[in-house]
Amino acid sequence: MHELSVALEVCRMTEARVGAAGPGAVREVGLEVGDDAGVEIGNLQFCLEALLAEPPFAGARPVILRRAGDVLRLAYLEVDDGCPND
Amino acid sequence: MAVRTIDVRERVMAKNDEIAGQVRARLQAAQVPALNLVSSPGAGKTQLLERTLADLGSELALAVVTGDVQTQNDADRLARHTDRLVQAVVTHGACHLDARQVLTAIEAIDLAATDLLFIENVGNLVCPANWDLGEDAKVVLFSVTEGEDKPVKYPTMFERARAVVLTKLDLLPYVPFQVDRAVAFALQVNPNLEIVRTSALTPDGMASWYGFVRSLVRVGVPR
Repeated sequence: MHELSVALEVCRMTEARVGAAGPGAVREVGLEVGDDAGVEIGNLQFCLEALLAEPPFAGARPVILRRAGDVLRLAYLEVDDGCPND
Repeated sequence: MAVRTIDVRERVMAKNDEIAGQVRARLQAAQVPALNLVSSPGAGKTQLLERTLADLGSELALAVVTGDVQTQNDADRLARHTDRLVQAVVTHGACHLDARQVLTAIEAIDLAATDLLFIENVGNLVCPANWDLGEDAKVVLFSVTEGEDKPVKYPTMFERARAVVLTKLDLLPYVPFQVDRAVAFALQVNPNLEIVRTSALTPDGMASWYGFVRSLVRVGVPR
């Protein structure tokens, strides 16, 4: 349940960050998780996959980056901005 | 289509911690110390608070916020021992309180007329360790019906606590719990822990807890 709370917060932060592109444009969500962060990685991955598969997201892929220490932060977002490649 | 990367690097707990800061600022402005009571389910948080409200309620203005996954049973129990409002937070499945819930709960409390705030967290020794509620200190309740090695099994909670309250000591004749061993495990994890011994069902079993509570109101919580 703690992992679900963390995953919900990651979704809230993602929505707040993507701006006009909208959460449906997010392709990848990168999260740094420390070994001492008190988070069960498999459980968090499951929760993120479940939430990011549902609207307003459109199947963004969660990527969990293992780190030393107790870090727990949203590292990056990959967003399709809808513009054709140069 | 062009895919761009947005560099974020923001702590997941940042929003909760920002709100916890607002809770802490309000409490400090009103000079109200706040204790976040945490434990396994059934360690005796509500029983401890029932006795405390009944015995100290005429001496100190005590406010309580209780958190439970479902039901307001704990708040109803506590309300029988105080004329003050007991704020119940039902988390609807979440295994811990968060700072936003506490901020909302204290809106209804007259902090200017409060000496001390107790926050009774959801019974859980894992998740509440990671959520700052704006409290001055976490206090872990640890009952003699548990294993003595709880502190080394759940080190984060004991590392972040200010004190450990041993509960249900009146049951010691009937359980194999070794107090010295339990205290040694707790101090191994956190040498700065204050150890308070209680028995909420015996007449004089709360004296050391009441001494601890009175000292917080008198001199504040050491930080």
